Amino acid sequence: MKAIRQETDEDLLIRLRRGDEAAFLALYRKRQAALYRFALQMSGSAGVAEDITQEVFLALLRGECGFNPERGSLSGYLFGIARKLALRQMERGRVDVPLESDAEDAALPELAVSDDTLADLTHREGIEALRRAVAALPRRYREVVVLCDLEEVDYADAAAALGCPIGTVRSRLHRARALLLEKLNKERPKPVGSFKPVRCAI
Amino acid sequence: MNCAEFWNEMPELAAGGGLQNEHEHEHLKQCPQCAGLIEQQRRLASGLRIMAHDWRAVAAPPRVEANLIEAFRNQMTPAGPRLARMRMLPVFSLAAVAAAVLAVAVWVAPRRPVAPPAAHHAPAAQVELASLADDGSDDDGFIPLPNAERVGPNDDVHVVRMELPRSAMLVVGLDVSPERVSERVEAEVMLGPDGLARAVRFADEPGTY
Repeated sequence: MKAIRQETDEDLLIRLRRGDEAAFLALYRKRQAALYRFALQMSGSAGVAEDITQEVFLALLRGECGFNPERGSLSGYLFGIARKLALRQMERGRVDVPLESDAEDAALPELAVSDDTLADLTHREGIEALRRAVAALPRRYREVVVLCDLEEVDYADAAAALGCPIGTVRSRLHRARALLLEKLNKERPKPVGSFKPVRCAI
Repeated sequence: MNCAEFWNEMPELAAGGGLQNEHEHEHLKQCPQCAGLIEQQRRLASGLRIMAHDWRAVAAPPRVEANLIEAFRNQMTPAGPRLARMRMLPVFSLAAVAAAVLAVAVWVAPRRPVAPPAAHHAPAAQVELASLADDGSDDDGFIPLPNAERVGPNDDVHVVRMELPRSAMLVVGLDVSPERVSERVEAEVMLGPDGLARAVRFADEPGTY
């Protein structure tokens, strides 16, 4: 039996540029949800996320953005456009999520150990606390967590979307997760003596 | 393997991947702090996966798809662009006149370098999306003129303030109500190092065109 080959984004883009509406629709349906969620996480506003999603595909339709497959995948490229549009909105003050504070960079957490600080992350309250912690991350850390952890974008596509090297994606992700742990630790009331920050000695 | 070497592999570990080699297992046996922290990271990764799963149901509302299909048909169907061009013909004629007026005004107006005041931005639909593919600069409210060269980051530019006919707004894609086309509006024109106009921003508040 012959296996049916799944059309790639790039195949769909070629057909789209020939005027194939079905290809445009297929590409939109394949990518819109992740782009919308990314825009929503970045902007904190459903209206802004809707505008951004629409504008990303309009840009693709108009062929104004000069997608080059040699520089990365279409998915990473679309996330990159969505990110730029979200940043513009943030600069114009149309978003609900607070802009990053550079002070948070200086206050990255030390390596710390807690016995069961995150034990409730599988419960509804724990997930809600995690959602708040992600929303409260500084922008540069929030975007990498949303892309890599929530949307499962690979590092290469995330790097293309963020316009930075893969190593930067890795290090930001590392810091972002440390910040999340710190925020979650702060949020959870701790019994006296159950938590003691320490440094690794080995 | 020390702690720093161990944590160099952290993103993969925290994402749920297994330990890469025997050295990493050895390190965790020797370092309870790292062992505790890696456990926290795994719980965090697990929580993020649950959050991502919950998120999967969120998508753009159906009206976005409907709007885009309409835009696609307008752009791609043979009749669409032709009709659109016919409808836009008077506007383009007016815009061409306005462009000529703007070019002449730049040459004849007394040039007064000014400090850039706050000014409105172009509507989102008018944002020059070509710049989005690059690592774009901050939006300063200047709208690039059609067919003008882009201003480079090291170019020596001058900003002059002048009065222009409101119809000049059409050149950069802003809407102008027909009854106000003949009014005059204060604007700042950015001149490139060759003295040619590159971009313009209007001092009017948004929504008063």
